[in-house]
Amino acid sequence: MKRLLFLLALLMLGSCEKPDTRPTITVQRIFGDCRAHVPKGKPATANPNGECEIITGLLDRFEAENPDIRLKIITVAWPGYDQLSAQFAADDAPDLVTMHMAVIPDYKSHHLLMPLMEGLEAQGITPDQFTPVARRAVSMDGDIYGLPFDSWTQLFHINMNLFAKAGLVKDGKPILPRNAGELLVQARQFRERTGKPYFVQSMVNERAAYARNLYTYLLAQDEVIFPDPNHIRLNTPRAREIVGLFKRIYDENMTTRDQDYGTATAAFVNGQGGVYIVGTWMIGAFDAEAATPGRPLYKGYTVVPYPVLFGDRPAAFVDGHAWVMPVKRRTPEQTQAVMRLLKFLSIHEADWTRSGHLSSMQAVITDPAYQAQPHRRDLMAITSYGQGLPIDVQRQFAIQDMLSEELAAAITGAKPADQALHDAETRINDMLTNLS
Amino acid sequence: MSRVRGRRVWQGLRYAFCAVMLILILLPLAWTVFLSLRNNVDLMRQAPLSLFGPYTLGNYGELLKNRTLFRWFFNSMVVSGFSVAGVLALSSLAGYAFGRLHFPFRNWLYAFVLMGLAIPDQSVILTRHHIFSTLHWHNTYLALILPGLSAPLGVFLMTETFRAIPKGMEDAARLDRASPFMIFWKVLLPQTVPAQASLGIYTFLLSWNDYWWPLISATRPDMFTLTEGMAAAQTNYAEVTGMGVLMAEAVLAGLPVLIIYIAFQKHIVSAITGMVKL
Repeated sequence: MKRLLFLLALLMLGSCEKPDTRPTITVQRIFGDCRAHVPKGKPATANPNGECEIITGLLDRFEAENPDIRLKIITVAWPGYDQLSAQFAADDAPDLVTMHMAVIPDYKSHHLLMPLMEGLEAQGITPDQFTPVARRAVSMDGDIYGLPFDSWTQLFHINMNLFAKAGLVKDGKPILPRNAGELLVQARQFRERTGKPYFVQSMVNERAAYARNLYTYLLAQDEVIFPDPNHIRLNTPRAREIVGLFKRIYDENMTTRDQDYGTATAAFVNGQGGVYIVGTWMIGAFDAEAATPGRPLYKGYTVVPYPVLFGDRPAAFVDGHAWVMPVKRRTPEQTQAVMRLLKFLSIHEADWTRSGHLSSMQAVITDPAYQAQPHRRDLMAITSYGQGLPIDVQRQFAIQDMLSEELAAAITGAKPADQALHDAETRINDMLTNLS
Repeated sequence: MSRVRGRRVWQGLRYAFCAVMLILILLPLAWTVFLSLRNNVDLMRQAPLSLFGPYTLGNYGELLKNRTLFRWFFNSMVVSGFSVAGVLALSSLAGYAFGRLHFPFRNWLYAFVLMGLAIPDQSVILTRHHIFSTLHWHNTYLALILPGLSAPLGVFLMTETFRAIPKGMEDAARLDRASPFMIFWKVLLPQTVPAQASLGIYTFLLSWNDYWWPLISATRPDMFTLTEGMAAAQTNYAEVTGMGVLMAEAVLAGLPVLIIYIAFQKHIVSAITGMVKL
């Protein structure tokens, strides 16, 4: 009995743990869970340049370097906004969240995001340190509502081995079209000489690529896509011309067909086409293929911004990830802890760009170490001329979905282009004029 | 002779049809298993040919390294298990009452319950979320289980099942002075086992595969269910660079359902046959 009492007393003493008085902040992020191959405090054992591996390592490092702050990390499924909205409704929002810059207006317009200018300036971070495209995306009403973490855009990923076979390489660089007519000529030449389509495209279950192509070439012509934040204008001669080009490419079999994202990526990796239009995030994976002997991309991969096909200047539709701070009750210590984490993330943004994303910090862009990474020198100009949609346009993800649906119908011939653009315009305007 | 031959040909055709259907149904499942046994780099290069080796258990090894996966698996088991038990208990009692007892406004009440079939989950999600927020029940098993217990289809199925049981059995029990609960418990309920098996499987599947409600109710990783956790753990572009792991997860997530199907297949077949007769 005595022994039992002694054991019980020991157990009770053991349970009298000293309460953790450190400020706790909740960080909610996307990018997946890869703890299995990122042991705490050690380098990743696989895929060290993956988004998940980099962010996991960075947050671990912050915890190690800041033992006076306790981090609670919630990993949510991409894009995470259903969950975030539910958390706001339940008054249980996290302290810091990853958010696409295009989505910031949705939450900001409902007064759910904290302005960060003052807090960041106290940490030595000022908006002029951001790249122009990132600064535009997070600046609203004279303040900033997110710490930019990267910029990303779609690019022309090129199989140089096939380009060489098609006679489209000069001085080791790809010969790119300078207008829509040249694109068709080169694509036909490519098909004749290689027997393969010029483009590899994800066209099935595709919710974004169509819209991003259209945005890019409308922006190149300084077309006003949104005359005001509640109205889109799509059924214009320039939009019809752009859609017409992509339809012609489809009709003349100058693109792969009926492929979803995964299949299109596999098709490009396996040398089934010359140009794959996909985002910055695939650069690392394709570089790895280019370094593997025996692979179709071996010593034959490069990536460039969209060539100028319409208008007379380069353009790119750009979005990016940012860290935002939801409105919620916090102690001053918690607020301070969030600001310290933001500063840490800003300092280590260069690590994040190993994933392939473009930097959103001027100092990183001009850093020789950043520029020494593959292709970055060719792509860095995008961070100046790239554009997102106007920052006061809400529901940009929903707009992208609707527009892509209609563009897919137009390009594959299910609807005439006029009709598809008209339908897209009507659907999007209906939504925007009925926003709560 | 020709009639016998005709019958054989007919039978052969039937078998051939069944074989084709079986292959069509099994092929995607088999493909999932084969994909889960292939190296991710190979899959990125030749996904369409993934039926052929070399094979590896590496993707399953990756799963085992993820300790939280087992917590999510446990959560899903708890939520699905209690949902099945709750739905069976409530639907059986309601079905017995609507099918065999006489009480005022019975038909009106039955119609009211069946109206639930016409209301999509999405239309009540905001109100439901608000109620659970007010009660501070989010991130609890209660929040994950309770909404699933309202099962108008289960009430309908059990009501019709109880109605189809011959009245003579109940009369005989009544002659032996059995109470209404004893009649329900000892005489009628055992007759509904096939229907219960079918309802149980259906409820289990619904609960096991539910994604949206756990997504917005369980915001703490330790309360994620398997569907939510697996989606959260998926790295970006995993369909390209981590196909094998995704397929291994799919196999793992499908295993309990498969086991339940195998265990209860006799009851499921007889329940479905019974439903067709209804």
